[in-house]
Amino acid sequence: MPHQCTSCGRTFPDGSKEMLSGCPDCGGNKFQFKPRGRTEPDDPAGRTEPDDPADRSGDQDDQAESVSTGPVSQESTPTKPNAGGTESDIPKRKQPDNRSTAQQSAERTEARSTASGRSTRNKGVSEDVPAREPESTPEATSDAQREEPTAQGTDPTVRESDSTARESDSTARESDPSTHRSTDSATDTEQVGGREHEDTAQASARTDVVTPDELDRASQPVATQDTDDPDADSGERPDIEELRDELNEQFESIRIVSPGKYELNLMELYDRQEYIISLQEDGRYVIEMPDAWGIDGE
Amino acid sequence: MGLLTNLRDSISRVTDGLFAADEPKRIGIYGPPNAGKTTLANRIARDWTGDAVGPESHIPHETRRARRKENVAIERNGRKVNIDIVDTPGVTTKVDYKEFLEHDIDKEDAVRRSREATEGVAEAMHWLREDVDGVIYVLDSTTDPFTQVNTMLIGIIESQNLPVLILANKTDLPESDVKQIANAFPQHETIPLSALEGENMDEVYTKIAEYFG
Repeated sequence: MPHQCTSCGRTFPDGSKEMLSGCPDCGGNKFQFKPRGRTEPDDPAGRTEPDDPADRSGDQDDQAESVSTGPVSQESTPTKPNAGGTESDIPKRKQPDNRSTAQQSAERTEARSTASGRSTRNKGVSEDVPAREPESTPEATSDAQREEPTAQGTDPTVRESDSTARESDSTARESDPSTHRSTDSATDTEQVGGREHEDTAQASARTDVVTPDELDRASQPVATQDTDDPDADSGERPDIEELRDELNEQFESIRIVSPGKYELNLMELYDRQEYIISLQEDGRYVIEMPDAWGIDGE
Repeated sequence: MGLLTNLRDSISRVTDGLFAADEPKRIGIYGPPNAGKTTLANRIARDWTGDAVGPESHIPHETRRARRKENVAIERNGRKVNIDIVDTPGVTTKVDYKEFLEHDIDKEDAVRRSREATEGVAEAMHWLREDVDGVIYVLDSTTDPFTQVNTMLIGIIESQNLPVLILANKTDLPESDVKQIANAFPQHETIPLSALEGENMDEVYTKIAEYFG
């Protein structure tokens, strides 16, 4: 939950664009891009799916990935009439965003299929996501694609117990790569088990409605939550540069090279009219809504 | 004073509106930093309304918020054209506070200016998309016009089908090379001028009336 309104404290999952037109609760336009592992789970239950994991894991990868525009944004942004500039356009317009969705997941899948051990996989993804716990993603992705829509929110209890089970697995995982490998499949099995109400036919039907990409994105956080327990805490907190990178990947029209130095993507600024981001040195940033912009008379 | 000014503007807008056939067109003055946009905006505003638009400066990014002068009525050949002039911050792809340090501005202020300038560019791009009916594109004729910013902005303007008038400013300087500007954008007419000295403003007004009337 890296984004938090500095006025009312409301938090937003990574990749969310809900706050890009101001905080829905208090109308504030100052937010804090919170380093991982620092947020409190005070989010309303309604849209917590992505928050929770981000919180708990504080996984950097999580943040970088949800750049892919995040699940929530998909559902929550429609408030913006001109959101045409945001959700749907993003993939086709922005190379990086593109990467973060389809391409990244492709990468992940690739990494997963080729890599047999954790370290290999780590390499596979690490150029994008340096400090992350690699193992989570591949599983996450697959989890996501299969499990997300139905499992999500329908049966929290099942999920709870799932994750508990996995936690207990974690020691084994840590110690032995082969066990770890099998945990992967175990996880898969678990998912299937936990999703007893979706059979192959259902899954196939669902696929017609929800694109794999959407699924992928929607599910990442949860998946991460499932898998990253053992290593998440050991990750380092990202420094301001990393935060910038992450934010810039998400919003990207203005790159803050260092305090007082900016690089501007004019096309992006032109295309994406809803907001600009000013990331401050302390991780805070301001969202400017065009509505608030005015031309000074004389 | 702002209130009075606004009031006066409102009144003049209403009275003008009685006689003007059309709503004023909103004309954005765009271009890279330090091309002389504000000098031109002030020149136009002073010539036709008696008021200035904003402070001019040699320091780049002096204009960090778009400023507008409404209802500038330009008469040409018996024809009256009403425009709202929007002076925009100079558009650039990089803003560095160090630029300001060269102008005796302390670091803290320079960083602030830098941030404001960045936001100003974002704003200018936003206005370009939504809020202008035509563009006066001002270039410094002493510098090379083949830049990413110029190409991109002119491209955007063309893609929007906005009428655009390209002005080669600073003809009072010996290094001025109007031809270079004209060659860079052969698809558009280039008007030379010195906004500072008021050179060739007659032609500029004629073209404004022609392009935006």
